Amino acid sequence: MGFILTTLHFFVIGIIASFCTRICCNKGPSANLFHFTLVITATVCCWMMWAIVYLAQMNPLIVPILSEGE
Amino acid sequence: MMEMLENLPTMDMMRSEPMQLARIIIPIESAHRTVSYLGDLGLFQFKDLNSDKSPFQRTFATQIKRCGEMARKLRFFKDQMMKAGLLSSTRSAYGSEISLDELEVKLGELESELIEMNANTEKLQRAYNELLEYKLVLQKAGDFFHHAQNSATAQQREFEEHRLVEGSMDSPLLLEQEMTTDITKHVKLGYVSGLVPRDKSMAFERILFRTTRGNVFLKQNVVEEPVIDPVQGEKVEKNVFIIFYSGERAKNKVLKICDAFGANRYPFTDDIGKRYQIITEVSGKISELKTTIEVGTLHWSTVVQAIANQFEQWNNLVKKEKSIYHTLNALSFDVTKKCLVAEGWHPVFATIQIQKALQRATSDSNSQVGSIFEVLHAKESPPTYFHTNKFTSAFQEIVDAYGVAKYQEANPGLYTIVTFPFLFAVMFGDWGHGICLLLATLFLILREKKYSSQKLGDIMEMAFGGRYVIFMMAIFSIYTGFIYNEFFSVPFEIFGRSAYDCRDSSCSDATTIGMIKVRDTYPFGVDPMWHGTRSELPFLNSLKMKMSILLGVAQMNLGIILSYFNAKFFKNDLNIRYQFIPQMIFLNSLFGYLSLLIIVKWCTGSQADLYHVMIYMFLSPTDDLGDNQLFWGQKYFQILLLLAALVAVPWMLIPKPLLLKKQHEERHQGLAYAPLHSLDENIESDFSDKPHGEHEEFEFSEVLVHQLIHTIEFVLGSVSNTASYLRLWALSLAHSELSSVFYEKVLLLAWGFNNVIVLIIGIIVFVFATVGVLLVMETLSAFLHALRLHWVEFQNKFYEGDGYKFIPFSFVSIGEEDDN
Repeated sequence: MGFILTTLHFFVIGIIASFCTRICCNKGPSANLFHFTLVITATVCCWMMWAIVYLAQMNPLIVPILSEGE
Repeated sequence: MMEMLENLPTMDMMRSEPMQLARIIIPIESAHRTVSYLGDLGLFQFKDLNSDKSPFQRTFATQIKRCGEMARKLRFFKDQMMKAGLLSSTRSAYGSEISLDELEVKLGELESELIEMNANTEKLQRAYNELLEYKLVLQKAGDFFHHAQNSATAQQREFEEHRLVEGSMDSPLLLEQEMTTDITKHVKLGYVSGLVPRDKSMAFERILFRTTRGNVFLKQNVVEEPVIDPVQGEKVEKNVFIIFYSGERAKNKVLKICDAFGANRYPFTDDIGKRYQIITEVSGKISELKTTIEVGTLHWSTVVQAIANQFEQWNNLVKKEKSIYHTLNALSFDVTKKCLVAEGWHPVFATIQIQKALQRATSDSNSQVGSIFEVLHAKESPPTYFHTNKFTSAFQEIVDAYGVAKYQEANPGLYTIVTFPFLFAVMFGDWGHGICLLLATLFLILREKKYSSQKLGDIMEMAFGGRYVIFMMAIFSIYTGFIYNEFFSVPFEIFGRSAYDCRDSSCSDATTIGMIKVRDTYPFGVDPMWHGTRSELPFLNSLKMKMSILLGVAQMNLGIILSYFNAKFFKNDLNIRYQFIPQMIFLNSLFGYLSLLIIVKWCTGSQADLYHVMIYMFLSPTDDLGDNQLFWGQKYFQILLLLAALVAVPWMLIPKPLLLKKQHEERHQGLAYAPLHSLDENIESDFSDKPHGEHEEFEFSEVLVHQLIHTIEFVLGSVSNTASYLRLWALSLAHSELSSVFYEKVLLLAWGFNNVIVLIIGIIVFVFATVGVLLVMETLSAFLHALRLHWVEFQNKFYEGDGYKFIPFSFVSIGEEDDN
């Protein structure tokens, strides 16, 4: 559940960022597509990294074992 | 869907701007002006139409020589300016527009004036120094002259008692003070006085003694302050000396030795009164000379100052003219000898601007005939031009350093803007270090205007040029720092509560069996509980290795998809069917499947051993999976994938060469006549031996071997490239370990002593270690490895990179090549 929710959050942030870029610097269709590609790539990269780390911790096989004297 | 994809507008940096080859016919009277305006525009790359001529055979060689002469004079002025300690103002007064001829004359005048002034100053300075030395000799030698002379006469008399007296002595002698009882024996001594450099004085004395067989008497006295030597013009420590000798031969020897040692000789009178007179005279002359020299120097510095004000402007003018003439040399004369013909590349969007510039040049030079601009059909490949701004140019340079993109192939620079800083950040992940990097680069970005006009050192130049790259790297590092949960290696519980807790309230098992997961997964990043535990490394290593594989497979797939877009753009169906599809099948049936297994294992929490699964998929695919089963039907799915991969290899290898051969045969079947060269084609096609665009020869074996190498490279490369992505894990591990060592073993240790001084020392060591090792070395290291991952693993899936860059004739770029 948490996974899907946060994925949705990333998606929404991506869309908002694209709109912001379109509003801030609207320099013709080719430049707009270029900015859109960059924003989407960045969003996808960030989401992938978050998702990997989240999935790895969902069903852990190893647990933290504290060291002595903590 | 496909129509939508096809109707998309072209993306800015995806492919090179469309370029076209143009021919401009310029009447001679407007040629100079046309080239000048095109240089201002900076969007036209002239082709050299006279490449077979040597530099001296070209039309405008004399003009270039003139410019070279003027450049030499300007360099001389620059030396003079540096001697005067002046810097040329960067924005000099834009005075009157001065033409090249006037400038030449003016430069010549100024140069001769400066040379004359310098020569005069030197002469005066030399005379001044000599007079100073003379004065010193007069003053110092007078002190010990008499004493020395007495000793000398005594010694000489002794000596002569054992020798026959030689002939007459006619040197500027003084009559001896004392007569001996034997009147026939006069002791007539000559003397020489002067200054000798102190470091040579011992050798001077020794050689004098040896050559004259001890027949001279030398007395030296030190001069306290260093004296400016007239010959060398530098301050040297000297001694005043007086040499007494007898005889003509001895005199000659003494004189020669003095010259050899650079000892300056000055006349000396014994008469005290006369000496004082001479001293006063010399002092007068000295002060006169001093005033003259000062006036001369003042005049010189005024002239140099006047030059300095105009230097930059003149320099730019000469450089501009020289470049214009170089360009004019590249143009060829047409048949009537009344026009110059230029050929060159320009981006299609600049056509109108170029035509406007041509019209302006025609009207400004009052020419009767306008220039003719026509588009040519080019056989060779155009240069590649990407329209970059100050943000994207650094990233494009990174890609260009590997190889400039072929004309209109997909540009990896587009994705590099995001994926390069991202992969850097995966290896660097620490939001504390990220903030430091961000502050450093914000400093550079805010001072952009100031630094871009300055001359920076080599390292600063590189750092400044890459400021936007570092900016992106810093922002992504802050993000990955939050994900890895490391702030100078310290984790924080920012995004919610940690998922782990003790098994029971006494926490007795915490150090043996460990905690358990009681709440939901920590929502953003690595759970803060992990830091410092004994099982931290096994967990993080597993996580980061799998992450590296997943990111690697994703980037490689992106590369192969870009090759699909390339093939579609160049309408190369062969590449799509017989290269793109088998490549996708091969990579994804093996490593895509591995990625899938990783994700399934994470989602289900199964204990399957993925190494075992992958290896036995190849070794014994029909075996039962047992405990390693992750989903239903896995065994049959694996067999299917294995067969797909096996089929993909010959699919990549064999059909393409065969079909290429068939295509070539079809193309040249009915070709009995070669086409005539149409007028639209460029001039050079007549002279080139082997036209670039047509491959007349088709060697089947060559093509087959090429395809074989490509296939082997891809197949073996898929394993090695995937493993190469593990460096993301390795560097990130190194970074976090270094960071935690510095934190625990330096800062915490210093804290534990409870002593302020130890704490301060500890903080200083921590800061230096962090900046030196982590912020500088690790940044460079991660930068390098991220770069390698892009250049090799990403780009070898689709990039050819054998184009050449569009270098337009532009005065802006001329201004940047400095004459250091």
